[in-house]
Amino acid sequence: MKKRIELGLLYSRSGSYSLISEACRIGALSAIAEINALPDFPLSLIPVERDPQGNIDAYGPLCEEILRESGARHVVGCVTSWSRKEVIPTLEKFGGTLWYAVPYEGFEASDHIVYTHACPNQHLLPLLGWAFARLGRRGFLTGSNYIWGWEMNRLARDVISSAGGEVLGERYLRLGSLEIDRMIDEIRATRPDFVLNNLIGPSQYAFLEAYHRLGQEDPHFRPETCPILSCNLTECEMPAIHPAAAEGLVAAGPYFRGASGWPEVTNRNFGSSHEAAAWSSVYRLARLLSGHEGAPEQSLAQLLADAPAGSEGIDLATHHTELPVLIAQVENGAFAVRESFAPVAGDPYLAHGREAVAPGAPRLKVVS
Amino acid sequence: MKRKIRIPNLGGAHAYILHRPHPTVQALERQLRAIGLTVVHCWPELPAEALSGDFVFFDADQGYDEQFPWKPGQSPMPMIALIGSEAPGRIEWSLEAGAHAQLLKPVGDGGVYSALLIARLAFEARQSLSVEIADLRRRLDERQTVVRAVTLLAARGKTESEAYDQLRQMAMAWRVSFEDAARRIVANHEEQGGPDDRRDLG
Repeated sequence: MKKRIELGLLYSRSGSYSLISEACRIGALSAIAEINALPDFPLSLIPVERDPQGNIDAYGPLCEEILRESGARHVVGCVTSWSRKEVIPTLEKFGGTLWYAVPYEGFEASDHIVYTHACPNQHLLPLLGWAFARLGRRGFLTGSNYIWGWEMNRLARDVISSAGGEVLGERYLRLGSLEIDRMIDEIRATRPDFVLNNLIGPSQYAFLEAYHRLGQEDPHFRPETCPILSCNLTECEMPAIHPAAAEGLVAAGPYFRGASGWPEVTNRNFGSSHEAAAWSSVYRLARLLSGHEGAPEQSLAQLLADAPAGSEGIDLATHHTELPVLIAQVENGAFAVRESFAPVAGDPYLAHGREAVAPGAPRLKVVS
Repeated sequence: MKRKIRIPNLGGAHAYILHRPHPTVQALERQLRAIGLTVVHCWPELPAEALSGDFVFFDADQGYDEQFPWKPGQSPMPMIALIGSEAPGRIEWSLEAGAHAQLLKPVGDGGVYSALLIARLAFEARQSLSVEIADLRRRLDERQTVVRAVTLLAARGKTESEAYDQLRQMAMAWRVSFEDAARRIVANHEEQGGPDDRRDLG
């Protein structure tokens, strides 16, 4: 008889970022189904699901509802940094843990959160290093007026200027805005070597289309000479983007569909790294909870410290994980891996430096 | 123009926590380690090695002047007060002890990173202001010397403004500050047993 453990799920099934939350949700639910079907695994997981519907003010109360009204101590969920920061006080108050499976901007290491997707030393630094070596060091920075855009561009500005490069412009759009003409005009006027895209949601989709049109008018703005770089775009958002507009975009991530090297699995394919990270979150949690007596009642810190088989690759100080680093480019509608770095531990406060990771460094492996 | 602040990298920095053993200290240590600092606990006194530390967190509730191996307000590193009771007397003492930032107890899941950054930048700003103030004060103190040097040079048949220009040129030729050049001229004059020009002036 399997022991039944409740597990919270907190993903928005509607709203501007529902494609991403749906990918994470599929990853979490498929892991739950797989684990429950394993005859020898001692636990079965019962999802306790709440849907904030993309409303930022619903995250705190719904997280509290999960922790108060069910036996769940762990919640897999949240897509935006804003929602993650919203639930921290609730997690603190009720001793809960959030498993966060989305790339983010770093500079956080909550005692109540496990970060299973990439932070800047795992996406932005290697992506800039790749761009510096192939394209140049003159960048144009774009972003949504939101913590992700601000922090990513602040760091990019630091990295570019300390590498002797130049930031030709830094422009923000309010969340959801489609007024991208001015941004495009400025990019056309400054002719950078690359455009760093930290726009999110509909602004990003509209920007990619407008930039594609710019490339049709002026060949400098085609992917060969001035591609768009992204740190959070995965397959899960492709349905929202015009196929021609995504072509040639360069993205960094721990996984792309069909790539090998995702931790702990060799023959399983995922729809996107969002799905993979949520899937891994549930597996890691299930192994931790079944590893020793009393585990389901423990706080995250205690659970990790007491795990007899180790902390599942979760760093005890930062609660970040080691992840592969891939640079991929959209080719015929799918991400093709251009370069692959050996797995890198998450370093949320960039304690080990903030230089762009140069291709050609010893740990680098070129994918042929 | 406003200067853009560069966020320092804190990885590998050493933090000293001057506080009796307490759960708040554990929460503080957890955050410091996640940010990449090494942590040394001490109570009731700072060890000599603390002089080479990068940050000192100190207890504002039970702290006292003798805990620190430097004069109040003259720490060689940023100091962060751990404040439990927000009593005006303790806040006053923390400020006199030289707090560059503060953190309220109990310490929870956040707050340490911003305290570190604010303390470091406040410390650096205070340092560079102290250097600037010391320099200005020294130059202020030399005003009388400058007047004497200009008077001595003018006594050789120059107008006051010509003498002033000459002193400036001498400073440039000697590669010293204006005030140092003035001091040299006055000292030289006194060595040669010249009459006190103040008496001449009087």
